[in-house]
Amino acid sequence: MYLEQLPMLAPYIPFILEGTIWTYSLVGGGLGLGFLIGVPIAIGQVYGGRIIKGILDVYVWFFRGVPLIVQLFLFYWGVFPAMGFKLPALATSIVVLGLRSGAYQSQIFRGAIESVEEGQMLAARAIGMSKAQAIIHIVIPQALRIAIPGWTNEYAILLKDSAICFVLGVMEVLTRTKYVVSATGLALLPYLFAGIHFLILTYGGTKIFNILYEKVHIPGLVKRGM
Amino acid sequence: MSRDIVLKAEDIHKSYGSLKVLKGVSFEIKKGETKVIAGPSGAGKSTLLRCLNLLTKPDKGRVWLEDIELTNPSVNINKIRQKIGFVFQEFNLFHHLTALDNVMIGLRKVKKLPKEEALRRAKEALLTVHITEDLWHKYPAQLSGGQKQRVAIARALAMDPVIILYDEPTSALDPQLVGEVLQVMKELARSGVTGLVVTHEIGFALEVADEMMFMYDGRILEKGPPKEVVFNPKHEITRKFFEQVGRLYGERR
Repeated sequence: MYLEQLPMLAPYIPFILEGTIWTYSLVGGGLGLGFLIGVPIAIGQVYGGRIIKGILDVYVWFFRGVPLIVQLFLFYWGVFPAMGFKLPALATSIVVLGLRSGAYQSQIFRGAIESVEEGQMLAARAIGMSKAQAIIHIVIPQALRIAIPGWTNEYAILLKDSAICFVLGVMEVLTRTKYVVSATGLALLPYLFAGIHFLILTYGGTKIFNILYEKVHIPGLVKRGM
Repeated sequence: MSRDIVLKAEDIHKSYGSLKVLKGVSFEIKKGETKVIAGPSGAGKSTLLRCLNLLTKPDKGRVWLEDIELTNPSVNINKIRQKIGFVFQEFNLFHHLTALDNVMIGLRKVKKLPKEEALRRAKEALLTVHITEDLWHKYPAQLSGGQKQRVAIARALAMDPVIILYDEPTSALDPQLVGEVLQVMKELARSGVTGLVVTHEIGFALEVADEMMFMYDGRILEKGPPKEVVFNPKHEITRKFFEQVGRLYGERR
């Protein structure tokens, strides 16, 4: 029965697909910004003093704890205007997704850093590296490799979180789908189409990260369960 | 401090909570000497070794490397540690780096040597421990335990240290791999590399050590020429210990 409706949807398909550019701006920006925020937070949480850890804990608590919709509104209408400027919806969304993903990513990297054996740090310090050098040259390169599967998960989550940015009117895939629903009166079919589109985007992205994971894998190290 | 003393420890104390691990340890090592520390587990051997390069901070006591006091808080410990080689029981090679890069990274990032110079010295150190060119580009996980430990020795050696501290360097190895590591350590000792070795390898001690220190319960219970301490100890505890070790290890060479 839905197939009969396909001719009605067809003219709008390019319009929906064009939203992929916005979706990927949100996901790419959010993941990238989240990475830049998440790695230093993780380092601070593992190696920092009590005060630093306390501040970072509050940050992580806030950005993981408050619903995304609330955060989007809060920054769009509240925080940025209060700071004296108003960012466009897309920029606000990218920043909020980034700040939020940074909180989630920090926990991925924190776990990864903590799973690097203590002996690696000891050996680095024993040849005269400072703590910072040991973190940069020894711990982080290993932790980033370990973090890739968790990071792939974050990609898949962010991809779908990005759809929530419709509340600010960002023209991503799902926002456009809603418009099509209103314009055509079709109920389920446009959403089904968007759903399949997201499935494909998820597949492609996770595939790429899996290939990356294989590529940077340290030769000879045993991968459990493989 | 006498000119040829390269490392001196004075009255080292260390506790973890209420557990006193070191209860006042003093000794010194002259340039070119090899000294061995033996003793039952829990005697404080590894803790002592880590106190010497401040991987563990002693609660009390002082350590000198040549004429610099490490335990002086104003000393930049990173500058000193590059002169003290440290070989771990568990190798602790950097997993993400090849054998060659494991040796090079200290030369590049700590000593800040130019790439050519670092490469030359790294290769030289690897050849000294009999790691041949076919293994240079292998990752630690692709090497045997004996090869890993020899790369770890090369990593310490390449930094041109004043002394190398070995913390039970053969204890994590399969028996058939112990020999190749001991062989390298003997060669280094004979070529004049100063060494302090925590080990139960009596054969090694008898063959190349200038002195054997027997640790028990956080103190050096007795010390002297290895033959004396192993075969003719002053204390009953020492005698019993070497009797047991001898049974386990034999006099492996």
